[in-house]
Amino acid sequence: MSASLIPPESLARVGEILAGPITVRIDRRESQRYAYAVGDLNPIYFDDGAAKEAGYRALTIPPLFITHALVTPKPASKLRADGLYEDSTSVNLEVARMMFGGEEWDFLEPVCVGDEITGTTRLLDLDQKEGKKGPFVRLVRETTFTNQDEEIVARSRQIGIAR
Amino acid sequence: MSKYPEMTTIQVGDELPVMHKQAGEAELFLYSAASFNPHRIHYDREYAHYEGHQDLVVHGPLQGSWLTQFITDWAGPGARLLSVEWQNRASAFVGEKLTFSGSVVSVDQVNGSVELEIYERKEDGSVLMPAKATVKLGQS
Repeated sequence: MSASLIPPESLARVGEILAGPITVRIDRRESQRYAYAVGDLNPIYFDDGAAKEAGYRALTIPPLFITHALVTPKPASKLRADGLYEDSTSVNLEVARMMFGGEEWDFLEPVCVGDEITGTTRLLDLDQKEGKKGPFVRLVRETTFTNQDEEIVARSRQIGIAR
Repeated sequence: MSKYPEMTTIQVGDELPVMHKQAGEAELFLYSAASFNPHRIHYDREYAHYEGHQDLVVHGPLQGSWLTQFITDWAGPGARLLSVEWQNRASAFVGEKLTFSGSVVSVDQVNGSVELEIYERKEDGSVLMPAKATVKLGQS
């Protein structure tokens, strides 16, 4: 058994809120900039008539845009050497680097332009495993997104692999 | 007849039309801007090399959004994406030709939904991102 990569004080944070709750209004221009950047020009993101014909109340958004809509801008003085912002959601681990492992999403209700979306991110799970290349930590952050009617519209689980 | 898949005719094994994607410097820049992501590995080649990457790295969430586009382009505007999950097995780099392919692995006539298995691959055929999704098909 390898030495623990997870300090006890980090393990104690499982279940803790890492970010939020933060509430934003879904903005048409931001959503459409995102859709253009992806190259996803689905008319339900751009044309009110097409969105309504498809059964939406109003223009809808690229499904994963909801994460980026909640990003809070910070001054450039808060950037680290790697270009990322100082991160209050990071969990202290005895590892050299954190990699993006994947994501899991459930979409429960439609999200439309003008909706007020609240996102809350929790540390869902922190688990040390043995891989072919030695021990690693699997870190799962879950974000729950609710709308102005207090309906849960989506849940995402972001999986980080740290070694 | 609808140009999109329908529950009455869909079958396990049906394939989604293949989608090709390629992100150059401009696409990476636009995605960093649109997602307010200042991570240096997406725009500073020297820094990307310093972190051990062979070139500028294509954002993981950009590939995630390509994945949802691959599904919704096939399913059509009347369909609803219910869930999607993927694993990032390796990094994609600027200019690489990437291909999405997928097929129907189960059909749930009661709920009107289908499960898909999808792969994003590099030009050499290696899998970057295996994925699964559940979609409720639209009414015709």
